[in-house]
Amino acid sequence: MSDSENDDIWRMDETQDLPPTASEGTSTGVSGGSGLDRRKFLELAGGFGAAGVLAGALGPKLWESFFHSPVKSASQLKSTSPSKPVVRKRPLVLVTLYGGNDGLNTVIPYQSSIYASARGSLAIDSAKVIPLNNGYGLHPSMTGFKKLWDSKQLAIVQGVGFANPNYSHFESMDIWQSGVVGNPVSTGWLGRWLDATNSSPLSAVSIGPTMPTLLTGEKVQGAAIPPGTLVLPGDSTEQLLYSALAQLSSGQPHLLAEAAAASHNLIQLSIQMGSTLSSTASSDPLHLKDANPSSLTANGGAALAIANGGGGQSASNVLATQLSIVANLILAGATPQVYSVELGGFDTHVGQMPTQEKLLGELDVAVTAFVDAMANTPDGNGIVVMIYTEFGRRVSVNSSQGTDHGWANDVFIVGPAVTGGFYGEPCDLGRLQLGNLVFTTDFRTVYATMFDKILGVDPKPFLMGSFDTFKMV
Amino acid sequence: MDMLSALALLYRRAGFGATPTELAQAAALGYNGMVNKLVSGLQQPDSGADAIPTPTLLQPPFYKPGALNTPEARQAFYKTLSDERTAITNWWIMRMVATNNPLREKLTFFLHCHFPTAISKVIYPVYMYRQNQIFRSFGSGDFTQLTTAVSTDPAMLIWLDAGTDRLPDPNENFARELMERFTMGIGSYSEYDVRAAAFAFTGWHLNNQTGEFAIAPRLHSNLPQTFLGHQGVTTGQEVINIVTNSEPSAKFVVASVWSRFAYPIKPTDPLVAELASAYAKDRNMANLLRAVFRHPNFLSAGSASGLIKQPVEYVIGALRALRVSPARIPPSKPPLSSVLNSLGQVLFDPPSVGGWPQNEYWLSTSSALARWRFAHWLSLAGDISPVADSPVASRVDAVSEMLSIQSWSSSSGSTLKDAVANPHTLVSMALVSPEYVAN
Repeated sequence: MSDSENDDIWRMDETQDLPPTASEGTSTGVSGGSGLDRRKFLELAGGFGAAGVLAGALGPKLWESFFHSPVKSASQLKSTSPSKPVVRKRPLVLVTLYGGNDGLNTVIPYQSSIYASARGSLAIDSAKVIPLNNGYGLHPSMTGFKKLWDSKQLAIVQGVGFANPNYSHFESMDIWQSGVVGNPVSTGWLGRWLDATNSSPLSAVSIGPTMPTLLTGEKVQGAAIPPGTLVLPGDSTEQLLYSALAQLSSGQPHLLAEAAAASHNLIQLSIQMGSTLSSTASSDPLHLKDANPSSLTANGGAALAIANGGGGQSASNVLATQLSIVANLILAGATPQVYSVELGGFDTHVGQMPTQEKLLGELDVAVTAFVDAMANTPDGNGIVVMIYTEFGRRVSVNSSQGTDHGWANDVFIVGPAVTGGFYGEPCDLGRLQLGNLVFTTDFRTVYATMFDKILGVDPKPFLMGSFDTFKMV
Repeated sequence: MDMLSALALLYRRAGFGATPTELAQAAALGYNGMVNKLVSGLQQPDSGADAIPTPTLLQPPFYKPGALNTPEARQAFYKTLSDERTAITNWWIMRMVATNNPLREKLTFFLHCHFPTAISKVIYPVYMYRQNQIFRSFGSGDFTQLTTAVSTDPAMLIWLDAGTDRLPDPNENFARELMERFTMGIGSYSEYDVRAAAFAFTGWHLNNQTGEFAIAPRLHSNLPQTFLGHQGVTTGQEVINIVTNSEPSAKFVVASVWSRFAYPIKPTDPLVAELASAYAKDRNMANLLRAVFRHPNFLSAGSASGLIKQPVEYVIGALRALRVSPARIPPSKPPLSSVLNSLGQVLFDPPSVGGWPQNEYWLSTSSALARWRFAHWLSLAGDISPVADSPVASRVDAVSEMLSIQSWSSSSGSTLKDAVANPHTLVSMALVSPEYVAN
């Protein structure tokens, strides 16, 4: 096997600029429902002009099994369960900040003497804070968010949390992603929505190799979109065999059925979004490459390479890369209703100041550019971006110029259709518990708002209870 | 479960899958004999893996004061670290591919998942290498000694900021994760215990000049703490002794091992209590592994279909089955680490102190594509002669034997039959089949 023969098939790098090839088909990236479209699959398979040739090449049994397999129970064969065509309303883009961003130094009560004394040397200089109102201001690196605030596109929900927080990254993030407090469940708050609406896995997509809990349902798991082009390996025969392999046999053990479903969903993803992803893989929808490279990492000295808690460790803006893919899909009229992206590294126990400055700068640049790029487009002007993290941090600075795990935090809701301003109730710095901010607003209030205003469904069954909603969208 | 299926399962879980030759030799030893052979291999030299040369790595103090004052010098320095990172990743991958004592490399991988530590924060590859060697040399012994060795090693000191614990408000990072993630599990200690432990760890630090652990007496709190009901606790070592010898820790460690070698289980499961009472007597990891492999439930149907291969297990197992030496992959190819990157599991760089989740986490559409790309490449680059040289009618049997898969579902079986004309395609499809993706 020569090198050149291998070159195209082992393409794992993230920055490919190959044009779409014949094997990717010519679909526009839009397709209703999740049932395999025979014509599109033939385009995808390529090379064969007529179904008969392909069927002849592979044998009638395989052909039959592929296009005429009976639909089995949804839990057994989740990926081919009948699904309604998705009527896109407003794409919801979730930004998960892993590690526990310090909310107190993000939306800062900069006029509070309690803040100044508890934070000491970690308090942001009030002269540098970007003032909003009510005595709160933004971290100095968030100049883009200030513009969004001024144009009434930035909503800040204050004092968000839940009862009996326990400081654990993992349990806290599980609670946030599952939307359930007290009794751990394996499904995500949007995974249950996928289940209940019998949605295609392509209705909710995550950008990256793996799938966060929040898009995992009992029956349906959202799709994960790899960065870069989406070119299936192999020739048409191998691709058709792969699709056949993704058919389930009855009585498959659960995990093997899940593996087959992932393969099946990959074919779906390729048919519906492959050409869009591949043809736009090197585009720059957020117009960031023209900008001064240092603006991508707000703190040019990012090579210090301190990533508190892992992730978020890159010379470039990883969040912007993910949001570029989201932007390309939305601009191409793709069908997902929900997108999930993430940024890590917020676990700032030590030397918080430079780390948080760098990360908030990346967040600011990426989200602002994304919202700007979407604002004047017919498919993008309805987007709503929700930014959250697993917990806030302790009010007092520790002896390592950092902060330890804490409780309540703020949630950002951003978008052209959002009515900007403060929502919820700020935490009372004069009434801390064990040195922590006490939540005023149940996080499920935010989720109920997303269900009600964005997804257009009754929140109650998904949140197992009734919660108020905000009139912000 | 028949003997060959049991041995194949054992080889997948205690190693990276069996070759037909290994399986035949194992059958001669019998199941229990094979368990003993694998477990005793934990203490023995490894002629395969030990032949892999150790990369040359920068040693502390890494650079002289002022040596990195120019952008060019800094760039060259980071380039060196980046090259070293590639080198240690390849070193470990090659060890796992070449090992003759697969359980030792597998246990090392398990411990990397149990004590997840990431180079993105640790920065210096030599520290990750040192931690990796601790897993190899202490991993099969006493869990308290292992935890002590890992906790006082540079990688962990940097990763969880233990080296920066200072009075009067010591940060809680290491104290909390030690209990929550490494030794006891949440719910078995109070916030008061976290605080008390954080005081006991004050003064622990890494000497940046020597790269050695030290305790700074001036920074250490001698104030006696009551910790988990024990009075008068003042040192970090006491904290480690108390947590690793606690009752919740026995269950926690057993559940962690069982969950990664057999199938996911909660510490509250009766099976855990049963194994934990034996483990609590010596806290010896080799004995625990033997007990897991000898447990009847290890050979149950639920166990056989209870795990998905983690990307590292998938890639290493496939390379071994197709006899591809990573050293012979041409430099023009992206390194194997980029394959693992696309699968979401980068060695030495877990996403957080929580490590990598299991099973469904690895079954995304994105990882399905990455697996297929790798499988397709491997079917062209690897040695598929056992399949290609077989008559067409017996090629499915040949690929089953090559990948040590004992049975296929009806859809996989019929798809593979449809693929026999092209042995490369057949192998590629077998590698992405649900049966092979499972562990």
